[in-house]
Amino acid sequence: MAEERRGSWFGFGFCGFGQALGSGRGRQVHSPEPLQTPGEGADVCRVSASWSYTAFVTRGGRLELSGSAGCAAGGCRDAWASEALLVVLRAGPGRGAGTELQAWAPGSALSGEPLWAHTVGPEAEGEDAPGGEPQAGALPLLPGGRAYVSPRPPFYSPLAPELRARRLELGAEHALLLDEAGQVFSWGQGRHGQLGHGTLEAELEPRPLEALQGVPMAEVAAGGWHSVCVSETGDIYIWGWNDSGQLALPSRSLAEVGKAAAGEASGLKEDGCDVRTAEGESGGLAPFIAIQPFPALLDLPPGTDAVKASCGSRHTAVVTRTGELYTWGWGKYGQLGHKDTSSLDRPRRVEYFVDKRLQVRAVSCGPWNTYVYAVEKAEG
Amino acid sequence: MAEGDREPLARAGTLREALRALLPPTKEELTLQLGERVERSVVRLLREAVELFCGGRGGECLQASEAILDYSWEKLNTGPWRDVHRDWRRVYAFGCLLKAVCLCEEPGDAGAVAAALRVCDMGLLMGAAILGDILTKVAAVLQAHLPSGKRPAPGPAQEQPHEKKARHDRVWIPDVRSERTVPRLRCPSLQHFRKHFLVPGRPVILEGVADQWPCMKKWSLEYIQDVAGCRTVPVEVGSRYTDEEWSQTLMTVNEFISKYIRDEPRDVGYLAQHQLFDQIPELKRDISIPDYCCLGDGDEEEITINAWFGPQGTVSPLHQDPQQNFLVQVTGRKYIRLYSPQESEALYPHDTHLLHNTSQVDVENPDLEKFPKFAEAPFLSCILSPGEILFIPVKYWHYVRALDLSFSVSFWWS
Repeated sequence: MAEERRGSWFGFGFCGFGQALGSGRGRQVHSPEPLQTPGEGADVCRVSASWSYTAFVTRGGRLELSGSAGCAAGGCRDAWASEALLVVLRAGPGRGAGTELQAWAPGSALSGEPLWAHTVGPEAEGEDAPGGEPQAGALPLLPGGRAYVSPRPPFYSPLAPELRARRLELGAEHALLLDEAGQVFSWGQGRHGQLGHGTLEAELEPRPLEALQGVPMAEVAAGGWHSVCVSETGDIYIWGWNDSGQLALPSRSLAEVGKAAAGEASGLKEDGCDVRTAEGESGGLAPFIAIQPFPALLDLPPGTDAVKASCGSRHTAVVTRTGELYTWGWGKYGQLGHKDTSSLDRPRRVEYFVDKRLQVRAVSCGPWNTYVYAVEKAEG
Repeated sequence: MAEGDREPLARAGTLREALRALLPPTKEELTLQLGERVERSVVRLLREAVELFCGGRGGECLQASEAILDYSWEKLNTGPWRDVHRDWRRVYAFGCLLKAVCLCEEPGDAGAVAAALRVCDMGLLMGAAILGDILTKVAAVLQAHLPSGKRPAPGPAQEQPHEKKARHDRVWIPDVRSERTVPRLRCPSLQHFRKHFLVPGRPVILEGVADQWPCMKKWSLEYIQDVAGCRTVPVEVGSRYTDEEWSQTLMTVNEFISKYIRDEPRDVGYLAQHQLFDQIPELKRDISIPDYCCLGDGDEEEITINAWFGPQGTVSPLHQDPQQNFLVQVTGRKYIRLYSPQESEALYPHDTHLLHNTSQVDVENPDLEKFPKFAEAPFLSCILSPGEILFIPVKYWHYVRALDLSFSVSFWWS
């Protein structure tokens, strides 16, 4: 019955364009820092980060951009940032006037005319979760789930109504969809196994993941070339490219970097041990996996249930029911938040939040950085 | 050790000068003309990196170059390779250029020059030509400035292929006398070749055409290591590209030779289908373009020249290519089998998009229960030896196995 405290946002990773990420000093932040959220008393409920800028939307409907693009605008319910396009869901003028979907060039500061605009029906209003907690943004899925936006042509794509889309996420060359029943669909390029159908072939239309049928999913997240979903019971399924360990499976390139570092440190010449295999947790030899073309169940520490997931280009972040944050994958810009720039092919808890007695509630990854919403642990 | 006589600092100084001499003289010219596809943020970062470089802020320029490289690398990995916009490859090459030059700005250790050369090679392998093909020139300068210790002492001279200790106790050399062989001709005229082989699409071995090329005498392991040893190249690891265990990786030519040719290799490594002669122009002088290529429609610049360099036992599974091919054998022998495109059905091509030009059948060990028609499919075969050229007509199915340490050069033309 503890009182729910207002939380705040933290950020870490790449900020080479000066995007708000903690102190914003330098080009990278390796450990979580509180965000200097723009404006005073701003209540950021949505964060959408592109590579060179980040979009913040407050509960009051204020949109702020930080980084290579900078501006502030009102009347925004949701925003979705990409390098080519900033998509904004704006309340129409007057009550009951519905919402307008606008696409802007990021540098336009939302002045002048949008690149294009589309009126959206007034259905599916009021998406905020109880307690005013930030929800994962609905964009690029449009309210009503009948269509979605994309930074590549065609910019606006309808979805078959029978799909009953609840969430949609876009990777570099694929799309993931979660429907009302908890079924996951994927389509697009499949060369990195990111579609999860067991092949490397492309799919033109949304195709259900047979391997996951019967397991209702609560969340989906798309990285550059990998896919994650979280079941209602807190299990994580993951598939796609593992070149940087983003699937938390043994990655050859990480092992080679580790070997090189170890070799230098100890001064020993590299032994003739088989480079092809990796030490498994139990000491057995596990093969390296470059591509996982169908879903694999991920092992978090026993007893941890996942509730949220978000992916960057080549890293993954997961929030647990007990308010912990785990990250893994590409770490070169500090986007894993473990105070260094190592990449990981195993989940590791971000200790900052434990040390500060913070409960993580939401996570939103940009391509090379990570934004986290956390509340102070309730007393007593 | 003559090269080591000069002071390391002095040597680094001349390297820096040599590199700077290759760069455009003004900041404004150190730029790329880029189209709409490249986002404004990237253009801005490129400009910033150049500013940092010209302002002598090498460390920060390196950081900016890393971001440029990482971002453009993502674009290079998005979508099929042939659809990757050339501008992204140019951005990538530009990032490599800045990084390589920055790495050599400080009078650093020898490792810096090798690292810079590797970066250049990445730019040459994955990028596209920029600033008058500057990366090739930078690579040549870097190569010349590598401390002599970097080049490994050549092994005892035993470069004749058949003197090489066989890695396996037995290599199966097919008895081609029991098979229908590819016809051989000595220096046919252009017209004869066109009329009897090019137009009807019939394979033939051309003798006396390439046998005097400099490569035939010059290309020993020692020579290759001398000219190209420190250069980074793509290597295929695994018995054949249709295997699950197959992968591609990058390493220097020296590493390739020591790991996959010299030291009792555990796996098969193949420097295959690589445009080595664009990367290392010095090697290009040792080969020529067969005259018969002028019978095609394309320009000479459009001819793709690939190197195929590997130990005894490399296998290219039965497949077809969309262009005419002259396969020139330089070192070692290859057993080659050829099936006409008319036999395609009996060769059971994969039905996936990625492998639709590759047969499912293992030619020298076919599963005839699974692929019954294969047994009856007629074919031609040969053992291609140094100095000979095999003409493989467009779409003609071919299977290749190296019987010795082998170096081949292929010319794809239309």
